[in-house]
Amino acid sequence: MTAIALPYRAALRLRPATVVSVLVVAVLVVALIAPGLLTTRDPNAIDLQSTLLSPSWSHWFGTDDAGRDLYTRVVYGTRESFGIGLGATALAMVIAIVLGFVAGLARGFVDTVLSRILDVAFAFPVLLLALLLIAIRGPSLGTVIVAVGIGSAPGYARMVRGQVLHVRQAGYIQASHALGHTRWAVIRQHLFPNAMRPLVAMMTLGIGQSIVWASGLAFLGLGVAPPSPEWGALLDAGRAAITTSPWLEILPGLVIVVATLALTSLGRTLQHRLEGAAR
Amino acid sequence: MRIRHVVAAASGALLVASLAACGGGAAASGGGEKVQGGTIVYGHEQEPPCIFGGWVQQAYISRNILDSVVTMADDGSIKPWLATAWKISDDGLTYTFTLKPGVKFTDGTALDAQAVADNFAYWEKGGNSTAKVSIDPYFKAARAIDATHLEVTLNKPYLPLLQMISQAYFGIQSPTALKRSDQLNCEDPIGSGAFKVQEWKHGQEVVLTKNPDYTSWPATAKHEGPAIVDTVRWKFLNDAVSRYSSLATGETNVIYDVPTVNWKDAKTKYDVQQYITPGKPVSIYLNTVNGIFTDKSVRQAFAYGADRKAAVEAAFHGVIPYEGNPSVSQSTPGYNASVAGAYAFDQPKANELLDQAGWTTRDAAGYRTKDGKQLAVKFTYPAGSVFTTEGATVLQILQQQWKQVGFNVTLIPETQAETFAGKYSGPKAYDAQPWYWTSPSSAILWIVWRPDTKESPNGSNSAFYNNDQLSTVIQAGNSAATTEEANAKYAEAQQIIQDNAPAVGLYTQTTSIASARNLHDVWLEKSQGEPVFADAYFTK
Repeated sequence: MTAIALPYRAALRLRPATVVSVLVVAVLVVALIAPGLLTTRDPNAIDLQSTLLSPSWSHWFGTDDAGRDLYTRVVYGTRESFGIGLGATALAMVIAIVLGFVAGLARGFVDTVLSRILDVAFAFPVLLLALLLIAIRGPSLGTVIVAVGIGSAPGYARMVRGQVLHVRQAGYIQASHALGHTRWAVIRQHLFPNAMRPLVAMMTLGIGQSIVWASGLAFLGLGVAPPSPEWGALLDAGRAAITTSPWLEILPGLVIVVATLALTSLGRTLQHRLEGAAR
Repeated sequence: MRIRHVVAAASGALLVASLAACGGGAAASGGGEKVQGGTIVYGHEQEPPCIFGGWVQQAYISRNILDSVVTMADDGSIKPWLATAWKISDDGLTYTFTLKPGVKFTDGTALDAQAVADNFAYWEKGGNSTAKVSIDPYFKAARAIDATHLEVTLNKPYLPLLQMISQAYFGIQSPTALKRSDQLNCEDPIGSGAFKVQEWKHGQEVVLTKNPDYTSWPATAKHEGPAIVDTVRWKFLNDAVSRYSSLATGETNVIYDVPTVNWKDAKTKYDVQQYITPGKPVSIYLNTVNGIFTDKSVRQAFAYGADRKAAVEAAFHGVIPYEGNPSVSQSTPGYNASVAGAYAFDQPKANELLDQAGWTTRDAAGYRTKDGKQLAVKFTYPAGSVFTTEGATVLQILQQQWKQVGFNVTLIPETQAETFAGKYSGPKAYDAQPWYWTSPSSAILWIVWRPDTKESPNGSNSAFYNNDQLSTVIQAGNSAATTEEANAKYAEAQQIIQDNAPAVGLYTQTTSIASARNLHDVWLEKSQGEPVFADAYFTK
């Protein structure tokens, strides 16, 4: 395993896409943890003398209809957009792990029932499920996280179930049973870590996907409350002026695209890396 | 019986004479050759739940289908429509209307005095909530004297009655049709108007077709006879960008609510019209029975604490006027201009008032506190259906300025479903909430500020502000003998409201349309600003 992994790691270091993705994600992490390092302005500071200014040296992304610096809002919006992405993906994973492991381990009737439920839930578009939940609970940060999390969970749950079924057939699992380890010990020490390995990469991909879904909901006016600089909310706020001040749409839109591409690229790299490690 | 107002049916004849030639190929007033027939594609914003009802979005479309008893002219005077003349008794308690003879609804039912009386009964039974509150508790009864004479009696004199019934909420429907199910009436109300409903494709458009037998145009019409175009496709284009772009692509001929950011551009490319609708402007109700705004000083500090005028001018690009009077809009008869300047932006004054009210300490975030409680404001607003993107920007600007004086304002946009379900109604649901209410008279004061009591609830009093003196003054205005006397009382009422600050002014409710330059004579009626298509025609 080591003989294959070392050259593979070396190859990874040389891939420009990976390097760029890591850099982008690193910047996003800084924006998430310490946005003050990237901008000195207040994301909500109003300046009625400077409304709808086009991008310039003093306002890199221009200003919005209330004179707020758009770059600063995008930087501070990272916390909410990433927060939703992380929160929704974490929630989806918890649900997926519980349902996937129960179905994969129990098999038989329980597996059949759970699998059919997951099939039906999987058939529902995530945004439709999210809209339904928001219609019941009303739009808020928490609701968006829960909505996107629940909407994404069935896909992950099917994957977890498949992994559990796959791993439990592995020779080392059979050997552990033969050596007299308890069922719980086998699950905890062998089955869980091995079944979860591919999911680490999927989580990275899922964060990017969740950001896009959350942005979509915010664009529809169903996201976090104003004056939040969440990226989708920025798109929603800017669309009225799209013909006269297009930077209000183009620049936050580009940020969403770049962030999602970087996370996806990183996820794919991790996926390949983990698959390599598993060989 | 003193005759106050008798108007001849032909009063509009001179006005329309030059435009009356409807035959194809006639010269148009604006140049080009006038076309008979054609289809107007109109891009509207909101799709209403029914094609008639008590919301202005319903009135917009029903105005083109249902005729009313009277109408309002550009100068605010009341002109004939279905009624050719009317008399008011000396005591102001009896109105006798003479109706145009021979008018028929599009289902063939005769539009006679009994039909109009039946409509009054229908409104009073709850058929149209806004019509009901617009004449309650003054309305007593309506009865047909004969086929063309209708008598309306009142419990108390109500000077604005004619103005109020000029609104499209009072469009007359066929009593035969009203016996159908509510659903059918909702989808296809039957009137005597210039158009009738052909089809409602939900989520897309209502197709209106010309009523070829139309005989009952109002005195304010720009031509006599049935509509000139054959069809109006009333499309629902909620997204402002798409709506405005549809004019450029030719997908629509005329649109409603021109985005303010595009107003300057629209003026160079299209024929634009803007009308500041009378009634209650967009203003913020403050909850006077629960929470921090029970204290008048805090309400006044809230009014002083933000530069509402600058916020409105910035967010609406100078297109929509600021309105400092929270109770009556500047285009309303009886408007008190002197109260509009109250509570001009003055943060030192706001700070002083809050200090005096005991909100002297601040927490780590800079918000004021009193006895460990934060000066927090739960501010709900109906996003989309009432508040456009520009309106939401105004609120976000104000939110930051209120923060400077120590208010922690949390903005909660309501979805349309939440608004219609009444999620944020009642004294426990919010501290502040903005609304508007179009109305052609200062009698809107009674609708909004009538005391809300257990015996006589008033769901429109969203500040929950009960003031006996205010109630007495408004009622005196409603029952005044002359307009001058009424306006003096209405002005006094506006002063009382401004002094006590149960509401804070923001901006006027404004209707705007932009139409392609080959489309002529689309006009905005004056009671509520609905676009009227009965006189419109194309040129080639």
